[in-house]
Amino acid sequence: MANEQKSSPINRRQFIRTRVPAAERVASAVIVMLLLGIGITIAIKGKHFDPNLYAVRTDSLKSTAAAVEGKGGTARSAPETKTVPAEAPKAVVAEETSPEGGTEHPSDAPKPAAKGEPIEISLAGTKPMGDTEFYSSDNLYEKIDGRAPAYQSFNVQALRCRSFAVVAAAGSFVDVYEYRFDSPVDAFGMFALERDPKGKPLTIVPDGYAAEMGYFFRQGAVYVQIIASDLKPETLAIAKSLADIRAKDLPVDEKGLAGRRKLPTDGLVADSVSYVPENAQGLSALKEVFEAKYQFDGGEIPFFIMVASPDDAVTAAKSFQDFCSKFGTVENLPTASGAKLFRAQVFGKWKVVYQRDGELGGAFDADDGDKARAFIEKYLRGELK
Amino acid sequence: MSSPNQNNYSPPPGASVSRREFLVRLGITGALVAGSGVAARKLWQPKHFVPGFEEQKGMQLRSYAPEISKVQPSLAIAHGTEHEKTIRAAMTALGGMSRFIQNGDVVMIKPNVAFDRPPTLAATTHPDALRAVAKLCFEAGAHKVIIADNPINSPTGCFLKSGLTAVAAEMNLDLLYPETNSFAPLSLSGEVLKEWTFFNTPFKRATKVIGLAPCKDHNLCHASMTTKNWYGLLGGRRNQFHQHIHSIVSDFALMMKPTLVILDGMNVLMSNGPTGGRLSDVKPMNTIVAGTDMISVDAYGYSHLLERDIAELTYLHKAQARGLGNINWKDTIYKEVTV
Repeated sequence: MANEQKSSPINRRQFIRTRVPAAERVASAVIVMLLLGIGITIAIKGKHFDPNLYAVRTDSLKSTAAAVEGKGGTARSAPETKTVPAEAPKAVVAEETSPEGGTEHPSDAPKPAAKGEPIEISLAGTKPMGDTEFYSSDNLYEKIDGRAPAYQSFNVQALRCRSFAVVAAAGSFVDVYEYRFDSPVDAFGMFALERDPKGKPLTIVPDGYAAEMGYFFRQGAVYVQIIASDLKPETLAIAKSLADIRAKDLPVDEKGLAGRRKLPTDGLVADSVSYVPENAQGLSALKEVFEAKYQFDGGEIPFFIMVASPDDAVTAAKSFQDFCSKFGTVENLPTASGAKLFRAQVFGKWKVVYQRDGELGGAFDADDGDKARAFIEKYLRGELK
Repeated sequence: MSSPNQNNYSPPPGASVSRREFLVRLGITGALVAGSGVAARKLWQPKHFVPGFEEQKGMQLRSYAPEISKVQPSLAIAHGTEHEKTIRAAMTALGGMSRFIQNGDVVMIKPNVAFDRPPTLAATTHPDALRAVAKLCFEAGAHKVIIADNPINSPTGCFLKSGLTAVAAEMNLDLLYPETNSFAPLSLSGEVLKEWTFFNTPFKRATKVIGLAPCKDHNLCHASMTTKNWYGLLGGRRNQFHQHIHSIVSDFALMMKPTLVILDGMNVLMSNGPTGGRLSDVKPMNTIVAGTDMISVDAYGYSHLLERDIAELTYLHKAQARGLGNINWKDTIYKEVTV
């Protein structure tokens, strides 16, 4: 027994192979060479720094954020709790809420594009030049570089874009850019900021114009830019067709734009409409304000309007009047067309402000107080269309 | 103590190792160990080098600037309606391209190809401008002309849509696209630019460097002209510099000492820059500005082409304060011509 135990290591050594077949030697050499190649590749690649390897991808945190959205900090969510899917854009959720909260789409109405959904356009005479490109707010600079902060200031969510070659015009193409914002108001704000003063209004959408080399419009929470590569008739015709198609395919949503719709068009100075999300005219009470300039009685009158709840409108009007009293002189005017009115002169400029139900508006920074009052009273009577 | 059985062990026939084979195997093993040690020593870095954050020094660009002349202009302004004639006039006013480019030179032209926009929108270097400058370089005896830029967006798309790919093919220019191994760490004692990854491949071959930039509005830094143009040579996530845009742009005047810069002000993007998108943003100014001092060139561009108050362009003032250029272009030797 003892003998068997002692001899076992000797027996194992007897199995050592000393003659390895040629094929096995070749295979071993190949593996060693491969390992050597991998090592050299890693060494070479490692010499060139790629900052993207170490960048924080904030996109990857969004799924976590969405997963805990609406849940208590420590409480377990109830089984029936409906969470927003991580990939669902915020605007999509808003557009699917009730009419009180937004716009309800009939079943046959266009649906908002899901994240990652390519721009598919079937239009004769065009050929896609590549796949749809997608960008989030975080990496928008990769497409538009230094322009990105302007879009981010209006809460841009995403950009998707695609180029289409014009078959009938060699070398020509049309770019389709679709910027999705948090809300239609945000989309309008950016659209207004970049508006072409020479643009011709479009009839297919409430906010849009045709420029010399393209079409620019807002539909729902999306700001669309259709940009032709040149002025060839074939290219411009394709650009127009693409604009028509995109305007029809994108869902209509006018949430938050009631103030914009109340701006009269009579005397409106082109390229003057703008949207101020907060602190309009330096007043914290003035939020989601639309401003525009009007030609009236030989002069120019800046006009603003804010649509809110009646209580908020009253509060904002009082805040506005207090501000004017502090820095200038205020005169209460007789009620006109159901609206409370006051006129003020602040820092040498005139303001005529009205409040009617949930609507607060008025002329501001006007040179002539009487003309400003006449303009506002005409507006309140509904004589400005 | 050892078992007698072990002493009885004898290897199977053919399994014995001769002294010679033992020494050969020992030599190979020793060589492998020594080789691994040498390789490890060569590749070892006490700290991993992360450009911008670590202390290790990267490459430094040499100066491509010509000698300063006390008699010849350092700035030329030419007014005309055609790119080639106007650029030629500007260069003639500056003393001719042969003042800067000699026989056998490899010229690197840095256009601004940041976006995939068509040339008419004036967001990128115009193909006619590139064609004219390349032609002048060849006429002066250049052996080769390289064009290179690092658009963050698809480089091939940007060069194609801006029309520069076609010019490169037509004139047999070397178009260098940025690739992963095109970058190397750059060291600079800039205000914010210290260590950063840099598109250096074109500079391995270039003997002269010309910056060829459009004149345009910029959302963040008011204007993108010849100084801002060098931004396109940085790699990595360079958007983080947007927080210090005026500092980084002024650092470019330290980073790059080009042979020449040319500002294309034939059609100027006056608003909604740097991307533009509408012809209404573009204004024909029919001017080319060329010079050896990018700060002077940009000072003229900002005040006379973008028609704005030079006092607000912080990065030019920063560069001036650091002695990197002269914002008072009228104090330099300049020449203005009309075609």
